[in-house]
Amino acid sequence: MNSIEAAAVPAGRAAERERFQRERRRAALAQFVRTISTVGIALGLGFVITLFVSDRPIQAYVALLTGPVSSAARVGTWIEDATTLTMLGLSIAIVFRAQQFSLLAEGQLYLGALVAGIIALKLPVPGLLHLAVAVLGAAAAGFAFGLIPGALKAYYGANEIVSTLMLNVVAVRTYDLLLTYWLKPPSAGYTWSNPFPADAVFARFIEGSRINTALFVAAALVVLTWLLVYKTPIGYELRMVGANLDFARYGGINVRRTIMLSMALAGIPAGLAGAHLAMGVHQRLLLNISLGLAFEGIVVALMAGNHPLIVPLAALLYSYLRIGGDIMERTAAVGSDIVRVIQATIILFITAELLVGVARRRRARREADAAG
Amino acid sequence: MNVVDALIEMRGITKVYPNGVVANDRVDFTVRAGEIHGLVGENGAGKTTLMKLLYGLEQPTDGAIRLRGRPVEIRNPHVAIDLGIGMVHQNFMLVQNFTVAENIVLGLEPRRRGLVDRPRALEIARELSLRYGLQVAADARIDAIPVGMRQRVEILKALYRGAEILILDEPTAVLTPQETADLFKAVRTLVGQGKTVIFISHKLREMKAVADRVTVMRDGKVMGTLPVAAATEETLAQMMVGRKVLLRVAKPPAKPGRPLLRVDDLRCVTETGHEALRGVSFDVRAGEILGIAGVEGNGQTELVEILTGLRAATGGAVSLDGQVIVNRPPRAVRQAGMSHVPEDRLRNGVATPASVGENLIVDRYFAPPFTRYGWWMEAGAVKQTAEQLMEEFDIRAPDSAVPVRALSGGNMQKVVLARELSRWPKVLVAAQPTRGIDIGATEFAHAQLVRIRDWGAAVLLVSADLSEVMALSDRLAVMHNGEIVAVFDEPQELTEEEVGLYMLGLKRQDEIGSLGPRASR
Repeated sequence: MNSIEAAAVPAGRAAERERFQRERRRAALAQFVRTISTVGIALGLGFVITLFVSDRPIQAYVALLTGPVSSAARVGTWIEDATTLTMLGLSIAIVFRAQQFSLLAEGQLYLGALVAGIIALKLPVPGLLHLAVAVLGAAAAGFAFGLIPGALKAYYGANEIVSTLMLNVVAVRTYDLLLTYWLKPPSAGYTWSNPFPADAVFARFIEGSRINTALFVAAALVVLTWLLVYKTPIGYELRMVGANLDFARYGGINVRRTIMLSMALAGIPAGLAGAHLAMGVHQRLLLNISLGLAFEGIVVALMAGNHPLIVPLAALLYSYLRIGGDIMERTAAVGSDIVRVIQATIILFITAELLVGVARRRRARREADAAG
Repeated sequence: MNVVDALIEMRGITKVYPNGVVANDRVDFTVRAGEIHGLVGENGAGKTTLMKLLYGLEQPTDGAIRLRGRPVEIRNPHVAIDLGIGMVHQNFMLVQNFTVAENIVLGLEPRRRGLVDRPRALEIARELSLRYGLQVAADARIDAIPVGMRQRVEILKALYRGAEILILDEPTAVLTPQETADLFKAVRTLVGQGKTVIFISHKLREMKAVADRVTVMRDGKVMGTLPVAAATEETLAQMMVGRKVLLRVAKPPAKPGRPLLRVDDLRCVTETGHEALRGVSFDVRAGEILGIAGVEGNGQTELVEILTGLRAATGGAVSLDGQVIVNRPPRAVRQAGMSHVPEDRLRNGVATPASVGENLIVDRYFAPPFTRYGWWMEAGAVKQTAEQLMEEFDIRAPDSAVPVRALSGGNMQKVVLARELSRWPKVLVAAQPTRGIDIGATEFAHAQLVRIRDWGAAVLLVSADLSEVMALSDRLAVMHNGEIVAVFDEPQELTEEEVGLYMLGLKRQDEIGSLGPRASR
């Protein structure tokens, strides 16, 4: 770049800016096209695997690809699952933005479900307020629980991966304990609570489908998370801590507080995912309400590049594969482990492609540096 | 030029990186046997790329290399070494917990019964050291020897592998004036013994001092090759930058006011138990630049970090215009009126994945106009401020949304300067403000430091570049081993060698107090 010319011609800068913006739009479009074609290739690869494991491969694969939309009830199941995964994906996206590898979402989900359940069953609040209080309680539980590994990391330097995995066990066992010895009616033949009263559930509003009003909560969370990350000072702090922690500290950001807040704020959507499972999906508390769903949320967040507005799309895609896989397993007699392999192959392919994009940008940058 | 006496001849060399960057554009470069050939140019001019091509680390897109008249294809460094070409990189490639001798013979160890023959390795190291006049402690571990000696080890390593042509990439960047002088002497000895040396630098004075001929590069092209005797620093600088450059800092005399930064008996013991600061005291007055010279690692880093709130002091006091700022969080220190240009901008001066705009507001995002009602960030205000600062500080980026990682080192530093100076600080602590940036950006940074001084800020300048601190400072302090060992009121009247003696701890002022900041108040 010739320094004198660039300085002497201010019009040059405007043109340069326009070129940059055009370039950026083009790059975004190219990325989109690439992602779509990767999904296509991944599905093709999945079919190749199916060819090897099924004697009726076409029927099996059609079940995977069209199963989730083959009936209103199945669409409902898909959307319901995507709702939970959206919430969990948002939770992970928040902590990952700040480069904190908190895996607490599972525990936050359990405590959210537990608090929502206790409020639904034991707290006599009138009318619509009952639902609202239960929802707020679940969010608060997730938030408060996140403060613990946050403080441990910020003040004692405790590795959050270890502390959150251990705290998850604490949360799940607490849930089991209270459910078994307190909430389960003595007569019940199964470890579950009584059904929640009608004013403390997410109502199903489409006949013959499990889609419930938590869908709107998830939609609101998507927008709120996006606002939080990109439009508030706290979001700025999260992003700067994630981009370069030393820079954030140098610039005067309270890094400890930000680390704590990232894990706590992530507890809100995770706690609400628990509330959705309790008050929307099952409408009661039961043992093993989630079997590692939060870890599926990590995949969703990764696929979405931790961008809140893309999380629901990733969740819809991922849920589609989950539900389609279930249907393939049931209708075409493909073993569940094989279904998992196919799912994993597809997901691996998509995430790898996204990571390749990142790597390619890194490499281009390194080479530009090396050109010195 | 007579082709016959050309040892290395690179013709029409073009190197295009896969991302489209043209690092070398039809470069012709000729080195004669037995000369010291200087290669100068700004960062990104293509010097290092050209040498990487010669050393086989990269392959040219086009062009031919001839060695002793024969065409050669240097596919990798092994080929280069076989051809007698050795390269000493800017970042030393030595095994830290091996001895000097082990490093020299590494990969080509003398063997006895299948094992490394250590006594023989020691002998080899001592012989080489003696023959080429490069003094090293052959049995010392690398992590225990000073930087200058590590460099000599690197050179010996190349010589052991039979190098006839030595490429030295920015060899003086890490050396004190004395070590630099030693290096120059050693280089002349090598040439006296028939070796050829290619010397990469952007310090023109060094070129004048050591090279026979010098080739100037700019924007991937060779601007010319000329005998050093025929060139002045000014003409070389002009060839490098493409316009007239102010090599001397234009600086009106300081008009110091009241002390704004007062440091009293500051002490620091680091986490590892190292006593980094042993009672440091000084004042910096409004409208003056106090320079701190010293070999890196003598407490300057700790001093700067404590002053800016990034590190806790274990004793002593610091006040900024009367406010106590020691052991306060960075934001409190900043709000007392402190600005900080950090020594390693990539570590904490910028967040490279974040945009230029986001990088420019990290000290002020929480207040209006950037944040309204306590929670809403105004993207428009960020953009407007960013564009204004980009204009004012000549930050070359197409848009404020560009990630900082896409900027050159000089432009990154301008982002830091723009943020830190646009606060109009009472005190500016600038550490290594021109490290790794080109002449144009250096000139700009120097002018900015003088501008903020003349506006009335107290400036503390910490730099390992001795000529820089000496040229910019109104007063100069020298740090050695966690102490201030000398303070000079007229730094312009000193020679670098004189200051060097204090930097190395060979001399110290008997009564720093009487010459020091307390007396000059």
